[in-house]
Order: sequence, then structure tokens, then C-alpha cells
Amino acid sequence: MMPQKNKEILDTIGAAGDYKQGFVTQVEQEFVPKGLSEEIIRTISARKGEPQWLLEFRLDAFRKWQEMTPPSWGHLKLPVIDFQEIIYYAAPKRDEDRPTEIDPALMETFDKLGIPLHEREVLAGVKPKSNVAVDAVFDSVSVATTFRKTLSEKGIIFCSFSEAVREHPDLVRKYLASVVPTGDNFYAALNSAVFSDGSFCYIPKGVKCPMDLSSYFRINASGTGQFERTLIIADEGSSLSYMEGCTAPMRDEHQLHAAVVEIIVEKGADVRYSTVQNWYPGDAQGRGGILNLVTKRGICRGEGSHLSWTQVETGSAITWKYPSTILKGDHSSSEFYSVAMTGNWQQADTGTKMIHLGKNTRSRIVSKGISSGHSQNSYRGLVHIAPAADGARNYSQCDSLLIGSDCGAHTFPVIRSANPSAVVEHEATTSKISEQQLFYCNQRGISPEDAVALIVGGYAREVLQRLPMEFAVEAQKLLSLSLEGAVG
Amino acid sequence: MDRLYVIGRDVVPAQFGVLPSDPLRLTFVVLPGTSCALETEVLLTAPHCEADIAGLYLCAGDDRFSLKLNLRHEAGECRSRQLFKGMASGRARALFDGRVFVAHGAQKTSALQENHSLLLSCDARVESRPQLEIYADDVECSHGATAGSLDAQQQFYMQSRGIPREEALRLQKISFLSPVLERLPESLVDEVISCL
Repeated sequence: MMPQKNKEILDTIGAAGDYKQGFVTQVEQEFVPKGLSEEIIRTISARKGEPQWLLEFRLDAFRKWQEMTPPSWGHLKLPVIDFQEIIYYAAPKRDEDRPTEIDPALMETFDKLGIPLHEREVLAGVKPKSNVAVDAVFDSVSVATTFRKTLSEKGIIFCSFSEAVREHPDLVRKYLASVVPTGDNFYAALNSAVFSDGSFCYIPKGVKCPMDLSSYFRINASGTGQFERTLIIADEGSSLSYMEGCTAPMRDEHQLHAAVVEIIVEKGADVRYSTVQNWYPGDAQGRGGILNLVTKRGICRGEGSHLSWTQVETGSAITWKYPSTILKGDHSSSEFYSVAMTGNWQQADTGTKMIHLGKNTRSRIVSKGISSGHSQNSYRGLVHIAPAADGARNYSQCDSLLIGSDCGAHTFPVIRSANPSAVVEHEATTSKISEQQLFYCNQRGISPEDAVALIVGGYAREVLQRLPMEFAVEAQKLLSLSLEGAVG
Repeated sequence: MDRLYVIGRDVVPAQFGVLPSDPLRLTFVVLPGTSCALETEVLLTAPHCEADIAGLYLCAGDDRFSLKLNLRHEAGECRSRQLFKGMASGRARALFDGRVFVAHGAQKTSALQENHSLLLSCDARVESRPQLEIYADDVECSHGATAGSLDAQQQFYMQSRGIPREEALRLQKISFLSPVLERLPESLVDEVISCL
């Protein structure tokens, strides 16, 4: 087992050097003019054939956004973003005569990324049977959703957001912005105004989703931003495992990604949300890369509901992301497992918020930061215990690993307690890889680079093993890849 | 340098500089009836400096207390220890906001920061913000924070052995504070205990 794993790490390191997902696909695309105004929002909405209520929702968000200023409390050096220089809508042009077929160039893109869109192939047994249903989002629109039939037999709705607006307007209207209000923060307001597509998922009462659901996001066009919106509803007693992945081409300019993810977990339901974030991180000099400024929040509404966040963050020039849970239902619980890896000039400010409102609510936070090069990596978290949260319990552990003397690792937790029966614990450590561990590996013939990959793998294991199988392998590879050149 | 400050009686300097030849031992005591926002900075600017900082804060009634402590490791090979213990009862608000800053190049730093709070009534609030900001890799830095209340099992244990409830609670509070009480002169220890 061990030699093979080492070989795998070796292979990936050997093959590495560059961002493999950095290619650009030549597909004909249609854009709206760059810039942001009510006019643009009306255009986007009209192009998508949206109902009046959604247009009003957008305009309301836009008016709120105009009054807001970008948050500056993050431990980040954000470049000034000119919101008028961004194209807010870019879609691959579809052949009107054959709307069911996917553009071959697009197909190729997703093939290169290893996303199984062709369920026909899967069904024909060409590829090993995949157990994941995928919704792929290319720039601003969702291009394909697989395995719909199998899912719909169980009453599960899994489709693009635009389709959900058309087919299930009641559900969308009921839940949209119920967890992240339009005016929640600057980027969430921006997203609410201009969001183009994303995934929608509804699991009916008592249904255990038979396969992992997955969204794949790809930014392709230049000068655009991606503003996707994901809405997941797990009705009473249901369960779901959801995965999200992302890549983008290599460019010298920064590109903005401002997503909103909302998750509603009803009584007794169980949702696992996993992310492997591998947006283009910029080059070794820190030019370009994605600005990943996203708002993710879930609410455990019902009694005994459970929401688990797992994230592996290796990409993006700047990451500003705090997947949070509102624990409203009594006895509900939530976890946050995170590995954030930064190299070169990347900056990450990520963490979570656990808002305990209900009785006997439980949360657990495990965060592992790894910084190398000139990067800055921060954990920022809030554990809030409301006066009514009797018997609430939280445990947080944040470890940071520093590789090289020019990087930074920071921990900014906030603990707020207003209930004497609640118990909150937080601990954090910061250190580097010990010389002894390295020596031990070297002495047994493992090269310094492999030794670091091995030690980091062990360090991040607690989080990585929470990922679904398909993701765990990818995440491990990504970590070793990002480590390349970090030692020596 | 061994300094003890009872907040409200003594004036706390805005900054403490530490010399390698003279380790800093700093203790803060906040007694009930004190409302203030205390802000101070400890600077370790030369190698081999040591700072040992501790404090206890007892907030009751309508007290509003906040402590902002910025500890800066500007040079390498320094060592710092921080331990803050707080209690809030009544409608009191207590906030600990401590930052350990390790400058770029301040290698071989060892820093430990701890903050524990007890919430003794439903209307009291505690907030803890222990922060690490680290720009050097060869360091050992850690922090811990907890918020909770007095353990009911311990109370039961003492009560089952004939110790009245009130006395049991006092003993629990004394043991919670004891790592800091050890640093105080006897007269001040008595004063602290009489407030429990």
C-alpha cells in the first residue's frame, strides 16, 4: 500500500510544475456588455426568460449593493476591483436546432477535467460506472446535468438553477435568500443581483439520495466573473452528500468568483457538503488568479438535523470564504473540516461560523492551514452561543503549518457565550515540520520533497478522510502538487 | 521586572518594553465593580526576552470590562506566556482580546496564550478573541480558549461529602483562579476571595 502511495505522490510531483487545468476552450460565446447597471441586470434576466419576481429580487439586491462597501476586515491585500470592468454574463452559444446536444468543444473541456458528463458512455460501460451525478456550470450557465432519470424516480430534483426557476418556482421562491439574505454582505448582494446559474437540489421527505451529487464550476471566458448560486434543500429525514469542484484557465488578470451557497436542512436530515477548490492561483510572481469571494451558509432548521462542511482549498489568488451553520433546531449538529493550502503569493482568509441557537446543539471545527512561499493563510472563526442554547457544545481545533520563512499563518477565532450551560473550547497551534520527522524520512531513503508530502498528508488526514472517495484521491494529489517547490 | 496592577486603582502603562536581562512578570487583577476598556502592549524587541503575563477578572452586576493586549515578538528566541482567567456574573460583559504577533524573521519564538472564562449567570456574556499573527516559520505558538460554567459533578461530589453548596461553589471558583492567585500577595488574595 505504502510504496504505491508514494509512487503516486512521486508521479504527481514529477508531472506537476504547472496548473494542469489552465487551458482555455474555444467555444463560441455570447456575452452581455461589460459593466453593471440596472440595464445589465434587466438584460441578464430577460435573456434567461425569468419571471418578474426574480427580476425584482435582483434589482432589490442591486440597490442594496450600491449602498454597500466592500468588507476590509479580512487579513488580505485585495486588489481594487473595478466592478464596471467585469462581464457579468457569458454563455456558450447553443445551436438552436439541437438544444439537447452538448457542444463537442465543451464536452472535450469537461473530459479533460475528468468530469463524466456522458452518462451514455457510463451506461454503455465504456468507463467504469460512476456513482456521481454532475451539474456542470461553464462560465455563467449550467451546461449539463447527468443522471436525472435515476434521481427523479426517487423524487429528487437536481437541475440547473435556471431550470428550477422555470419548473419549480414555488420551491425556489420559498427558499431563495432564506439563509443568505440579499443584503447579507457586499459580495452576496452582488451575487443576488447578477447571479447567472448554479445548481438546485431538493431531496424529498425521507429520501436517502442514492448517489453523490456534484457541481462542477469552470470559468473559461476572459474578463468575466462567475456568480453562481446553489440552493440545496434537504426535507425531513432525508440525506445527501454533495460535492463541488472548480477550475479556471491561466490568465494574467484577476477574475472574480462570487458565489452564494444556501443549504436548508430540515428535521432529522443529514447533508454533507464537500468542496475541492482549485481555481487558478496566479503564477509564481503572484500575477493573475481567481478572487474567490464566496458566501456559504446552511441552516439546521429542524430537530436533530446535521450539516457537515468539508473543504480542501488549494487554489485562488485570494480566498475569502466562511462556510457557516446556523444551528436552530434543538439537538442539531454541524461540523467544519478544512484544509487550506497556500503557496507563492496566495492569500487565504477562511474559516467558519457556528451560530448555536437551539438547545443541545453541537459543533466541531477542525481546520488545518498550510502555508509556503510568500503566502498568507488565516483562519477566522466565530462560535456564537445564544442565550437559549442550553447545553450547547463546541470544540475547535486549528493547526497551522509553516513551510519557509517568508509565509504567514494566522488564527483569529472569536468565542461568544451567553449561556452558562454551554461549553466552548478552542485550541490552536502553529509550527513547522519538525527536523526530526524529516530526518527520519530522509534516513530511510525518502527524498525531502516526498517526506514533506508525506508529513503534510498525515497532518491533513483527519480532514481528507472526511471527503467522499472520488474527492479524497484528487485532494491528496492537489496537496502534493501545491507543495512542489515549497522545500529545499 | 515584576509588576502587579489592580485595575481601577493602578495606572497601567500603554506599553511595556522587555529587556533580555530583566524578564517581565506582569499580573492584572480586575475586581467586581470595575468597568473599563484596558488596552496595553508588550514589546519583545531583543533576543532572549521573556514575558510571563497573567490576569484574572471578576465581573459582576453591570460591569463592562474589556482587555486588549497586544504582545509583539519583534525579535527571535523570545518566550512569552499568557494566562487569563475570567468570570462574569449578573449582567456583566467581559471581553478578552489578545494578540500574539510574531514578526518576520523572529525565529525560535515560543509563545503560549490561554484564556478561560466562566459564565455564572444567564444574563452575563463573555467573549474571547485569542489571536495569533505569525510571520516566521521556526516557531512554537499556540493558544487555547474555553468558555463554560462550574462543573455540576464536582459540586455533587463535595455536597455528598457534607460541604454546603455555597462553599462548594466558592471552592470551585478558587481552584479555577488559583494559577493566577498564586502570583498575588496574601492581602490581595483575601480580597479576591471575599468577592467570590
